[in-house]
Amino acid sequence: MTGTKDKLFYALLAATAAIFTYLIGYIFLVTPLAQLQAGGLAQKIFYFHVPAAYAMYLCGAVCCIASAMYLYNPTDARDAAARAGADCAVIFGAMVLGSGPLWAKKAWGVYWTWDPRLTTTLLSVLVFVSVVMLRAFAGNGEAERKFASALGVLGTVTLPIIHYAVVMWGGNHPTVITKTGGGLRHPAMTHALLVGFVAMTLLAGLLLWCRTRLSLSLSRVARLEEQAIATGQIDY
Amino acid sequence: MTQAQPEPTSATLADPNSRSTEFVAVQGGGETTSAASLLIAAYLVMWGLLFAFVLLSWRRQARVETRIAELEKAIAAGGGDGRAGQ
Repeated sequence: MTGTKDKLFYALLAATAAIFTYLIGYIFLVTPLAQLQAGGLAQKIFYFHVPAAYAMYLCGAVCCIASAMYLYNPTDARDAAARAGADCAVIFGAMVLGSGPLWAKKAWGVYWTWDPRLTTTLLSVLVFVSVVMLRAFAGNGEAERKFASALGVLGTVTLPIIHYAVVMWGGNHPTVITKTGGGLRHPAMTHALLVGFVAMTLLAGLLLWCRTRLSLSLSRVARLEEQAIATGQIDY
Repeated sequence: MTQAQPEPTSATLADPNSRSTEFVAVQGGGETTSAASLLIAAYLVMWGLLFAFVLLSWRRQARVETRIAELEKAIAAGGGDGRAGQ
């Protein structure tokens, strides 16, 4: 079974590497430049920035579902998935918040503005950072795990607010992706974005897999330490 | 009520020496930061974060696997030589 899992993992890794290689080549060799008001060459940040935001939503959703399941019926696997979801949501959120201001500098003339979507994104990432910090420093007891799970569920509630922030409150942030087809005026732009979504989905899957495995290993260490202390094999 | 701003004359703008004695406001000066450098910085930030995250996860996983092996060895030994201190 472990051999099958390993093969699947390496197949996923190879597929992710291949699709990212294709995506980077496509973005720089095929996708045309956008208008100067959108940032010109800097607009090419968009093809990673938006899929990274989508991956943050995806990892937040994993965190929320696993946390809710853990609160309903606690198991190590559910706790590990919730923890992995929060970890990965933070890293994708950092990618979004790191790349967005650099694009904004060219398109808007400033790195940061307290635009509704930017502000709600920052708040959501900070909620997931608090989940990660809580799990890292508050111990690994049942109560701490449940509190972190509850915070994980609450953190995910903020994600739809990011999505609808522009619709509800306006702001500078572009709204090129809409239900009615969006504002990508060249087929290559649409293709690059769609490939970006696929690539980030695979990457999110890989990272969630690795972090879930790590969390399960940490739980195993905790149980083995308890067992070793109880039998006097290690000093407390 | 706003005061009308004097229009800069072409002679003023054309004279290189005037740069040290006056500053003339212009409309739509635009953002001059290089798009290429911003693009490269954005890609470096994103990939740097990702690689750091993967590297830290990998190293931590390796440490945890070592710890598991130590603990299992200690428990299997049932005391004596197999003590694995905290």
